Amino acid sequence: MFGEGLLTGMGVTWKHFWGKKETFCYPEEKLPMTERFRGGHLVLDHQKCIACSLCSLACPNQAIKLKIVPDAKKKRHMQSYVHLIGRCLYCNLCVEACNPRALSWDKNYAISSWHPEDMDDELVTEEGRAYFEMMMAKAKEEAEVEAKAKAETETAGGGDA
Amino acid sequence: MELLNTMLENGVVSTLADELRNLLMLIFGNEVVAGFLMKCVGIGAILGIISVAAIVFTYGERKVCAFMQVRIGPNRVGGRFGLLQPIADMLKLMSKEDIIPEGCDRVVWALGPMLLFVPTALIYAFFPFDNGVALADVNVGIFLMLAISSQAVLPFLISGYASNSKYAFIGGMRTVAQMLSYEAPMVFSLLGVVMLSGSMRMCDIVNAQAEQFWFVLMQPIAFVVFVISATAETNRVPFDLVEGEAEIVAGPFAEYSGMRWALFFLAEYANLLSVSILTTVFFLGGWNGPFLPGVVWFGLKVLAMVFVFMWFRWTFPRTRIDQMLAFSWKVLLPLALANVLFTGVGIYARQWL
Amino acid sequence: MPKTETYTLSMGPQHPSTHGVLQVLLDLDGENILRATPVMGYLHRGIEKLLESRTYIQGVPYTDRLDYVSSMNNNLGYCRAVEELAQIEVPERAEYIRVIVAELNRIASHMVFIGSLANDLGAVTGMIYAFRDREKILDLFDLVCGARMTFHYIRVGGVSADLPPEFAAKCDEFLKIVPEFMQEYEDVLTGNEILQHRLKGTSVMTKEQALSRNMTGPNIRAVGIHFDIRKVDGYGAYPKFEFDVPVGENGDNWDRYKVRYLEIFESAKIIRQALDGLPEGDVMAKFPKVLRPPKGEVFSRTEGTRGELGFYIVSDGSTKPYRVHIRRPSFINLQGLDDMCRGMLIGDSVAAFSAIDPLMGEVDC
Repeated sequence: MFGEGLLTGMGVTWKHFWGKKETFCYPEEKLPMTERFRGGHLVLDHQKCIACSLCSLACPNQAIKLKIVPDAKKKRHMQSYVHLIGRCLYCNLCVEACNPRALSWDKNYAISSWHPEDMDDELVTEEGRAYFEMMMAKAKEEAEVEAKAKAETETAGGGDA
Repeated sequence: MELLNTMLENGVVSTLADELRNLLMLIFGNEVVAGFLMKCVGIGAILGIISVAAIVFTYGERKVCAFMQVRIGPNRVGGRFGLLQPIADMLKLMSKEDIIPEGCDRVVWALGPMLLFVPTALIYAFFPFDNGVALADVNVGIFLMLAISSQAVLPFLISGYASNSKYAFIGGMRTVAQMLSYEAPMVFSLLGVVMLSGSMRMCDIVNAQAEQFWFVLMQPIAFVVFVISATAETNRVPFDLVEGEAEIVAGPFAEYSGMRWALFFLAEYANLLSVSILTTVFFLGGWNGPFLPGVVWFGLKVLAMVFVFMWFRWTFPRTRIDQMLAFSWKVLLPLALANVLFTGVGIYARQWL
Repeated sequence: MPKTETYTLSMGPQHPSTHGVLQVLLDLDGENILRATPVMGYLHRGIEKLLESRTYIQGVPYTDRLDYVSSMNNNLGYCRAVEELAQIEVPERAEYIRVIVAELNRIASHMVFIGSLANDLGAVTGMIYAFRDREKILDLFDLVCGARMTFHYIRVGGVSADLPPEFAAKCDEFLKIVPEFMQEYEDVLTGNEILQHRLKGTSVMTKEQALSRNMTGPNIRAVGIHFDIRKVDGYGAYPKFEFDVPVGENGDNWDRYKVRYLEIFESAKIIRQALDGLPEGDVMAKFPKVLRPPKGEVFSRTEGTRGELGFYIVSDGSTKPYRVHIRRPSFINLQGLDDMCRGMLIGDSVAAFSAIDPLMGEVDC
């Protein structure tokens, strides 16, 4: 009563007026992200990925569009991995669903973009694409070799018979 | 050197004014013309003070608010301390679209912010910034000042009415209730000061404080009542019901944008400065003070009062309209009246002793 | 004779103090409120339908978006319902962790309440202080689950990951400063006469009114009814902890404020006990990855931060729920707005609205 509460309140604001400030200047100082931070773009380790599409199945909002191509040996490869950021809930279910641990977050939270089409993030990089081509070619080669060998064994077998 | 000596003796501002008057006399050789020009210079100076105050106070308010809220405040425009932030604000306001709401009473609506500025600026004519430095040091200074400043009710009401918005209208009606009820305790609290100094001329009041004590010591109740009702008169927290951001969005200003809104803003800060000046003049001894020139003391005291008002604003919640009116009529007014009584008894007793 | 008329003031959907997009139609006589009609649905996203079109496990992140300042409690409510439906035993350690994060989130949510109430009453600085301290809890959550808003930490069958090793120390540090900043709110807000006058004796609700409006949570405890599902049902690990349930007396806004204010201390007490008695073990139950609960239905309720948070789930034996209904405490508490506002002033309507503490994400679902 009689304004004591008002004066104590003013005392607190007076103390904070001279005290340390809690904020910091964001673009200049950036806080480190925690280890488990989920945010930013997804990163695909193309060498670990086995193209099982479990991530896409786990996604509650169909934010992952995959293009999986079987190679000549019927092994599946990731040709294109589009992360639709506009649909993403950042729930981490895709990362957890990945058994070979090929998916991770890059933790770069500054992901705003000017156009909606920029929000479709292609995870298969140039390198990944080259790897994909290489694997496809390799598989094709191997398959050809195998086919040739098979044909040879067949013809050889035919000869035997 | 001679000029400096006179400055020390007579005060900086009045010496400069005398020099200027002499110069004008030399050029025109006519007392009337020189006097007229001197008044023009004075008016210009007052308008300049108001504009500069608005700029400084926007920055100050932001920084004070930020510091009290454990933030840093503006620090981007103009160096580390964001000194050019008010300029940026002003440019932003000026470049905003002037939206005229449909169905508003256009003429009255446009008149509102301009009219509001008139009484706000007019009362600066009576303020003594230093010994003898007042544009119009009239012998009924307080009376005129109160009469003019109470005219500020009307522009709020008409802009609230003309906006054709319920929020604005409620705000306008609240202004009337608020300003009228706080006028009374404010006037009665000043009565004690007038009784002590025996004059309504502002310079006399300051001089009386130099002879006796500062009136804040002799009239503590009046000081508290005056500061509270001044907060209410300037529509600042805890009495910012006219704007009432969380309730009626911005009250009478709700429909204004761009420079029209900036005029309200300017008037608000001009009001803040004027009540700070009034508190300084009536209770804190005006320009009196050792060592420094009078105008510096005056400025320091005014800034301290401005800080106090900002301090209130960033600490307190808002009152409710009925509580606020009840507080005015049931607490402040009896206090102010009792203060008048005590002052009268005190003066009488002192004559007796 | 001057003629007076009543008029309708449309508060919202764009209004600084309707906490999002709620419209309140106020029938006014001057400044006096004759009737307050909340108009809802501006933020409707169809979360119940979204949950029905996703598998049980995929549905959990959507519950984050219901009451987005206390996501942990929503996750908990949904996961408990699914667990009851699928008869999954949650490991002991997971139950404890759930209690810790849910109570931390309750503190965070009540800080938002204190802050937004202060802001609606014009004390902007009080709001900033409350939000400043809430950041500390969000930092803890960031550590635990990697998000500051939509946590998605509590999962069906347990929690997504064990607490990080540094969590215990940091949580301990936070619990130590709880009395410090509560003292600061005490100084700036609770002890402030203006705030007291604004809250005391306004928007009084009787027990009957509150019961007939089916209010729950702090709102019903404020009118003096001792009802806390943590005590009544004793779900999860809650029966193992000792805590009081603060109860108001008069049912005014001041009691609503006070109840939440005291609940922060009680929550801190629970966290302290849970941290000390944290058992070792798994944090995730073992159950098939493709969850097919048996046919049936379940209604499971938990004490959300705003009241009784119930999930009604019907299973048809497939991987997706057949029907989900969410009993959102904010939505139901908001029905009391009319009772609370009648006869009050415009300024009180804002305070009443803040004191109910609804969250539009939950109201419109």
